[in-house]
Amino acid sequence: MPESAWGWLIVTYLFLAGAGAGAFVSAVACDLLAPDWSKTLARAGSLAAGPLVAVGTACLVLDLEAGLWQPWRQFYLVSNLSSMITWGVIILSLFIPVAFLYAAALNELTVVGRYARKYLRHLEVVGGFLAVATAGYTGVLIAVVNGVPFWNTPAMPVLFMASAMSTGLAVAMIGAAIIDITTIRTMSSFALGHVIFLSVEGLVLMLLIFLSLTRSVEAAASATMLISGSLSPYFWALVVIVGIVVPYVLSIVEYYEYGKMHKALVVGADLCVLVGGMSLRALIVFSGVAPHIV
Amino acid sequence: MPHYGIAIDTTKCIGCHSCRVACQNQQGLKYDQSFNWIKEREQGRFPAFGKEFVPVQCNHCQDAPCQSVCPTGAIYTSPEGIVLVHRERCVGCKYCIEACPYKVRIVDHHEGIVVKCWLCHDLVAKGGEPACVTTCPTQVRIFGDLDDPNSRVSQFIAKHRAQPLRPDLNTRPRIYYKRS
Repeated sequence: MPESAWGWLIVTYLFLAGAGAGAFVSAVACDLLAPDWSKTLARAGSLAAGPLVAVGTACLVLDLEAGLWQPWRQFYLVSNLSSMITWGVIILSLFIPVAFLYAAALNELTVVGRYARKYLRHLEVVGGFLAVATAGYTGVLIAVVNGVPFWNTPAMPVLFMASAMSTGLAVAMIGAAIIDITTIRTMSSFALGHVIFLSVEGLVLMLLIFLSLTRSVEAAASATMLISGSLSPYFWALVVIVGIVVPYVLSIVEYYEYGKMHKALVVGADLCVLVGGMSLRALIVFSGVAPHIV
Repeated sequence: MPHYGIAIDTTKCIGCHSCRVACQNQQGLKYDQSFNWIKEREQGRFPAFGKEFVPVQCNHCQDAPCQSVCPTGAIYTSPEGIVLVHRERCVGCKYCIEACPYKVRIVDHHEGIVVKCWLCHDLVAKGGEPACVTTCPTQVRIFGDLDDPNSRVSQFIAKHRAQPLRPDLNTRPRIYYKRS
């Protein structure tokens, strides 16, 4: 019998949509709250957000079958408001253009950007709302699935949201280092963001595992697969150590050693967060176990 | 309007898979595609032990999770209570496969859509019964109108207090089981 229908394309989509939405939120937060800390981070975040979400959405479309080779069928995708995919299509269709427009406005790219610059605050408010909706919806998408008990918990959107914010911040920080390597000294202020998001992610992940172990037989089977079963090497190495512990420690050091940490370590911490974020999505999707029916 | 359902007596099932083959023939499926399966459950300890064969197919749930998650509205319930797929609307996103607790939906890669048991709606409309029901050598399945208290299926369910699979999932299936 078929067990799981979703593969790497959906995993990549969940990761990229989260990272793109997080990068947008990082850019908006940086531009609104701390414009004097780093203009580069806001620019990098805004430039990364649209393309990341767009590529993620392309993965989602590539995973379709009849909808891919008969694209007009995709118009039906907004038919059922009780489906999270319908909501996802609406949110993505609004967020992707707003994200590109925001990137153009913040960086004053092309005529459109110079015109949109006048509405920067509006774009930040609307786009911020849509970005949070995008990051949250990727979690709700799988949390409403009662065909996979491990996913079927309100902890899932919270976990995905925390992971989206930390991977988005990592994207913005790596982007800032690429745009202007000298800005890396000022990045230390943002390391606090990693500390907060990774703490939340770690705590929620722990709660999810502990609660799943007692919630139902199937959820326990998934959680066991992650902590001591066939997927456990990947879970402990990629999600826990590389994805959470290492960048968490590095970010604390970075925050206290303001501006003195080696730039390879600053960028390294962010790359670790990205590896962890992708691994988290993959392991959660692949550890899904169907209800025992007989 | 009748509301169709099936009662399955697992105490009679010998695990011969003829329901699966009949279904494949009736629906024109390939050898590796199937709309019904026989799950096996071992129970007891030596010397008192046995194996139970549990035929599984689309449960035609009254609160079908596949129907509520389908973004294109391709999944609908017919007036007779049969959960059907609108082949022209399905995009193949496979969300319904994830949502179905019974995991009885498959992808038809040729058409690029998700397909499943449709209770042989073509045969039933002409007054017949689904192929899995008529082909079974030990008459494990009883097909009929669940709304008619005098139908064979309703009588069987009432007599043996047949239950759907995993009623706790609140999907309210229309396939009932008498278990060994």
